[in-house]
Amino acid sequence: MQTVFLTDLKPLLAAVAERMDLYVPKNAGTHYVYNRYDPSAGVPVEVNNIRVCTPSKEFLFPLRELAAVFPEPLEPKEIEPFAVFGLKDCDLRSIEILDKVFTEKEFEDPFYVKRREKMFIISSDCSDPADSCFCNVLNGRPFAQSGFDLNVSKVKGGFVVEAGSPKGVDFITTHSDLFIQAGDEVIAQRDTKRAETQNQLEQNNADLKFDVPVNEIVENGQDSDVFDEEAKTCVECQACTRVCPTCHCFYLYDTKKEDYFSKMKMWDSCMRIAYAEVAGGANPRKVLGDRLRHRFMHKFSYFLERYGLDMCVGCGRCVDAEAGDVDIREVLKKLNEELKGEGKKKAKVGK
Amino acid sequence: MNKNLYQPINGEIADIIDESPTIKSFVVVPEEEFRFATGQFVELTLPGEGEAPFTPSSSPAITDKMEISIMKAGRITALLHECEKGQKVGIRGPYGSGYPIEDFIGKEVYIIGGGVGLAPIRSLFLTLVDRIKDFKSVICRYGAKTPEDFIYKNTLFDSWQKIKGVDMKLTVDQGNGQWKDNVGVVTTICAKDDVDVKNAVAVICGPPIMMKFATMKMLEFGFKNSQIYLSMEKNMSCGFGKCGHCMLGKYYVCKDGPVFTYDQIDKYPNIWD
Repeated sequence: MQTVFLTDLKPLLAAVAERMDLYVPKNAGTHYVYNRYDPSAGVPVEVNNIRVCTPSKEFLFPLRELAAVFPEPLEPKEIEPFAVFGLKDCDLRSIEILDKVFTEKEFEDPFYVKRREKMFIISSDCSDPADSCFCNVLNGRPFAQSGFDLNVSKVKGGFVVEAGSPKGVDFITTHSDLFIQAGDEVIAQRDTKRAETQNQLEQNNADLKFDVPVNEIVENGQDSDVFDEEAKTCVECQACTRVCPTCHCFYLYDTKKEDYFSKMKMWDSCMRIAYAEVAGGANPRKVLGDRLRHRFMHKFSYFLERYGLDMCVGCGRCVDAEAGDVDIREVLKKLNEELKGEGKKKAKVGK
Repeated sequence: MNKNLYQPINGEIADIIDESPTIKSFVVVPEEEFRFATGQFVELTLPGEGEAPFTPSSSPAITDKMEISIMKAGRITALLHECEKGQKVGIRGPYGSGYPIEDFIGKEVYIIGGGVGLAPIRSLFLTLVDRIKDFKSVICRYGAKTPEDFIYKNTLFDSWQKIKGVDMKLTVDQGNGQWKDNVGVVTTICAKDDVDVKNAVAVICGPPIMMKFATMKMLEFGFKNSQIYLSMEKNMSCGFGKCGHCMLGKYYVCKDGPVFTYDQIDKYPNIWD
């Protein structure tokens, strides 16, 4: 693939915005949010140091959407191409996870698929991981590994731009006047920076080192009291699931309009008490600790078994968002301690 | 591009049959041919109100209409009970994998049903009796709260009992003056001698508490967990393993079930709740 260099982001963003709607990160003080890019507004766009606060799933799987209409059926409407700048490795990996669910051969979600086909992804390297970032624990990196069309890395005096897909190559070729060839020096600079950030992440998460795969830790601990204990600090705000870029539960409900009826699809949360309740009142997860247990098992065991991936990318959004005090990293740590403790016990019995 | 998964097929309620004080059967005619395998379920939409999952109780051999027996249990079912003939509805599905009939060939099929649980079992029963010679026998043990609570009374009390190869027994939790048969929960009419466990499968469908005790009974008879087929009713919504509401351990009941063998799910907590 192609790697090029440019000194200013503006012409690149303008060239993208000329072709399609472009969403860019906006610094909102303590965090970033996405805004539609308006080249005429003259607001400078910066490379966000970490992921944007809101989950990347919003671009493909919106909070609420129209799913069906009566009595005349709804054909998924054509989507105009759009681009998102500033997605991080965790976001790209979360999109890979959502792809597994919503583009499944036999049961394609037509709304997701339409958006996914039209999405142009311009990712960027992380520069200063947040305290809550722990992607390195789950095979993530502070720079895009795959799943992008273009990736932007900030270096001294400019930006290294790499194409990661035929669409990205096409863009660079079409706009060759914007770029110069990236020299070995800037690429080396980028790689050094990446290694430094990776190092910083590893230091931040030094206490999150596991000897066995995370799924084994969680599966071993599935009956653990840790979940019930942790649930005591949960206030059921459901923020963890809303802000999670991989959580994809949804709720179907019907509404009446004057001359037609519609079926809506809206984000839901497995932490909600009535989530699994059936008519008549039976509910397999009416206890909060059981819901937390299920959430962890889904993320680290069930999804892995079905699709071959962990359903957590270590973005840490849930850690930042929650109103209570359930920290996904702390839960994993406690379960790991239990597993290690059991190992020791077994070893003793063995002797 | 596949068609929109969320868009139901339009249909109409052509007839409504009062089965019991709490259960009605709805004859639903879809606008297009609709095929399902016995044990699969559909999402029935009452436009503007919502949808709920039901397993059709009619024979899968009929493809121009289906019968759905519905107990008044929640918001949508209560609204459906107020509907009249001609009501427009939507149908999505069929979903799930249904009963593995081919695995039952040559065996004794021991069916235990309770209450509205007879609905999916009726579809299975009709499928089995259509080719009764393929099975060693079909044994039915069915319970209801009171004699009035039985559904499909016309056939249940009469023609079904006379089918060669079918051994049927009924019970009620609470009798009335006319009831001459057994009184007691459904497991009280299940006996070890009913069935040759080595060459049999057990099929259980009914309220959770009944399914739990019937499963225990079958284990007591010597059935292996893998010989017990359970029709799990969870909060199925999307129907294709995405929305998450019906998850039972690693399974999506809507896509991987709703019929499971007990060995698939016995390790998960609260399966009967």
